[in-house]
Amino acid sequence: MLFPTLDFAIFFLPVLVLVWTVGQASNEWRKIILLLASWIFYGAWDWRFVLLLIASAAINWSVAQRVHARVEAGERAQPWLALGVIANLAILGFFKYFGFFLEELAPILTRAGFGRDLPLIEVILPVGISFFTFQGMSYLIDIARGHTKPASFLDITLLMSFFPHLVAGPIVRASHLVPQFARVPTLTRGMVAASLLLIVWGLFKKTVIASELATGLVDTAFFDPAAQTGPDLLAGAYGYAVQIYCDFSAYSDTAVGLAGLLGYRFPRNFDQPYRAASLQDFWRRWHISLSSWLRDYLYISLGGNRGGVWFVCRNLLITMLLGGFWHGAKWTFLIWGGLHGGVLAIERLWREWRGADARPIIPRPLAILIIFHIVVAGWIFFRADTLDGALAYFAELAAWRAGVALTTPLLAGLILFGLAIHFTPPTLMPGMARRVAAWPAPLLGLAVAIAILLVDAMRFEGVAAFIYYQF
Amino acid sequence: MADAFDSPIDIDVETPAKALSGLAQMAAAVGVATLLLLLFNAHALAAWADGLAPGTRTEAINRAAQALLARTQARGLDAPRAVLNGKWEEAKALKWTGRWPGQPQDQRKKS
Repeated sequence: MLFPTLDFAIFFLPVLVLVWTVGQASNEWRKIILLLASWIFYGAWDWRFVLLLIASAAINWSVAQRVHARVEAGERAQPWLALGVIANLAILGFFKYFGFFLEELAPILTRAGFGRDLPLIEVILPVGISFFTFQGMSYLIDIARGHTKPASFLDITLLMSFFPHLVAGPIVRASHLVPQFARVPTLTRGMVAASLLLIVWGLFKKTVIASELATGLVDTAFFDPAAQTGPDLLAGAYGYAVQIYCDFSAYSDTAVGLAGLLGYRFPRNFDQPYRAASLQDFWRRWHISLSSWLRDYLYISLGGNRGGVWFVCRNLLITMLLGGFWHGAKWTFLIWGGLHGGVLAIERLWREWRGADARPIIPRPLAILIIFHIVVAGWIFFRADTLDGALAYFAELAAWRAGVALTTPLLAGLILFGLAIHFTPPTLMPGMARRVAAWPAPLLGLAVAIAILLVDAMRFEGVAAFIYYQF
Repeated sequence: MADAFDSPIDIDVETPAKALSGLAQMAAAVGVATLLLLLFNAHALAAWADGLAPGTRTEAINRAAQALLARTQARGLDAPRAVLNGKWEEAKALKWTGRWPGQPQDQRKKS
């Protein structure tokens, strides 16, 4: 069930009505309705994985109780914490990385004479598994660090199953959401206006910009780079940068908006990432819930900034390599993570050498341009199906054949628009929401209907799954 | 304990005393939008119903959706979407004219 479909609208509207009618009288019933709705939403892909979701929540709830009891008693909670983290990693590892390791180990095992003993298992990847396992781990670590209190079984199951963020984030932490589950939330006019704006804006970014660029340009450019001209390949790379931003940020915007209409606040996940003037700045703006997760639970656990500059660089590189691997069991993701980790380490060394307070030696617009192109180079690895495919893309780009066959004026316009929105004032959306909040309800309803009608007139036939569903 | 965090829906607005509450505002706005979309975009509902797996219940839904589409079409309510879609398709069909620097003569026809 994809957000920008009528299937989802038909699912969401009754949930909205039930939550604000039945759920208004009893907070427990409200949460039960949301939990059942979340399982229906997730079960639409595969009912079996609802059981996995429940089992995962049960493990985290049970381990959290034990970790908390140890912490309260002043005893070592590490063994229970390690068990909980390993359980989450085992779930993630089996479903996401089993095939990769088997494939990589197959030649070695075959040479050693174990080839015919290799299990023939086609592991189906449950959608959203990377998100809910990371959520589970952060919950346990927060309990051990005393950053959050253990939640009831209902709350922790709802936290991990809550449908707006379930399949592609943002990674909402227990300390963000569980306190909001304590009582029936209040809906303000500001929340309604901002939520509706985010949903409509997300709908436009996904179904018009991302879908149009994917089908009209990016998929063809990456499928056979040798058949494309230089300008088309360049437009394909820029187009993918815009596509992935519009696709993923659309999911986050819609998730934040849907949760908002249900009365819950989700954290911001994107903040105009392509206006970043350094890669460190980029990671403060791109997939913020993942980058802050990696910082708080991995980078800091590795030692963070404590230690010499080379130690910090090592931590940055390991964090980003694992961040790449989180996206999937492919060498291209590892290279993407390695590229980001390497550049972050270089930036760190540069700051160390120049001094933290030194004036920048290149103007900000040029720095933005350089960082954008580093990010685009990373996206080529990220998008390509194989390492050879990525290298072929770079080789054909370097060969530069003149002419334009794929990139139409509309596609070029969408790329420019997708980049231009990064340079609008950050106060634009809140300002619009403030104005919209003052409108009478019929006018707001009319505006939403016109916006959806416009998007529907422009949308590509059907909607492809969000890119981050595969992670 | 709750983390302080920034959410895109944190919008401070002064609500006039006579204005609808947030909940009433949402209910009315979503209701109006749904109604308008049923009238002006019945095509989407009909396409969705058409894609349902065959069955007695889905057959009834399909019939109702097709009847709504026929009625709205008869009153010309589908025209705005059709016009917009036509303009969008025209924009999609636009091609660059002229020859690009360094482009061979035979490639011009393709672009």
